[in-house]
Amino acid sequence: MAALEWQLGTVTTIQTETPKTKSFFLALPKWMGHRPGHHIDLRLTAPDGYRTQRSYSIASAPELTGQLELTVDLIPDGEVSPYLHDVVMQGDLLELRGPIGGYFVWDVSLGGPLLLVGGGSGVVPLMAMLRHRAAQHSTIPARLLYSVRTADDVIYRDELARLAGAGSGLDVLFTYTRQAPAGWTGYRRRIDAAMLNEVIKPFGLAAKTYVCGPTLLVESVANLLVGMGQPAERVRTERFGPTGS
Amino acid sequence: MDVETADVNTELMVDGNAIAGELELIFGHDMTSALVRCASCAAQGMIATMMAFVRGPGVVLRCPSCEAVIARIVETPTATYLDTRGAMYLRIGHSA
Repeated sequence: MAALEWQLGTVTTIQTETPKTKSFFLALPKWMGHRPGHHIDLRLTAPDGYRTQRSYSIASAPELTGQLELTVDLIPDGEVSPYLHDVVMQGDLLELRGPIGGYFVWDVSLGGPLLLVGGGSGVVPLMAMLRHRAAQHSTIPARLLYSVRTADDVIYRDELARLAGAGSGLDVLFTYTRQAPAGWTGYRRRIDAAMLNEVIKPFGLAAKTYVCGPTLLVESVANLLVGMGQPAERVRTERFGPTGS
Repeated sequence: MDVETADVNTELMVDGNAIAGELELIFGHDMTSALVRCASCAAQGMIATMMAFVRGPGVVLRCPSCEAVIARIVETPTATYLDTRGAMYLRIGHSA
């Protein structure tokens, strides 16, 4: 396997996803291919040599060759995301290395059923899995439970609706933890045992499960799932840290 | 949680996935699925499931069962320090 090397990607497109989330498409001279769920390390170097780095999940499926999509939440007092959001422009170069991490990955060869639980921008690596699943025309049964504060915070809203179309085998369920849209009849609370019980019902305990989001959400969901009898080794987790609020 | 009094601030922690790049540079391949056994409580788990604290000058990995320090990684301008005294062993699969 090739050593992990830093390379410079060129920002080709910047897309606003939500008021505090943007997607950055990067063209890579050495596109390395990845598995859905992989992340990259992104490094910024100041003129005085000071360096800082962060990990960002890859949002694009491996089927999108030659480039990567990164979807980044703005952390207002952060060191890297405000630079990405407010300073970086199309044509700029960003230094990154990857793909990284073989634990939190899923592809169609691993089979299903597939249970994805995401909180906030924790949906990003799960989106790579769903995009890959769609690109492979897979009908492996899949469910995404996506916890967001308000309707404005939903990343990839239209694409998720398309991916979950009739016959897709994918269900997308939202829970709004702060304010649900008018007329909403679905979940409107933090993920709890009763909600998880309903969501996993069609799959029983057989699901391959991936949970990603703020640390406290991931801890809580993983503990609840294992408490319900899901084998711990089938509940894969990735923690993003604090929520930024 | 009370961040002023807690020894281990779980809200700020991430997990072993977050240091996969550093570990890959040290070991030469992906380590997130490698098993580690805690020298304090003997619990075993994959590196990805360890508690990770990455906001300090170095990285600290802790056991999710007993919170003991498993490993520390510090980068200096000239070298990398890896202290794994909190691990009884690492199991690195040949297919990794």
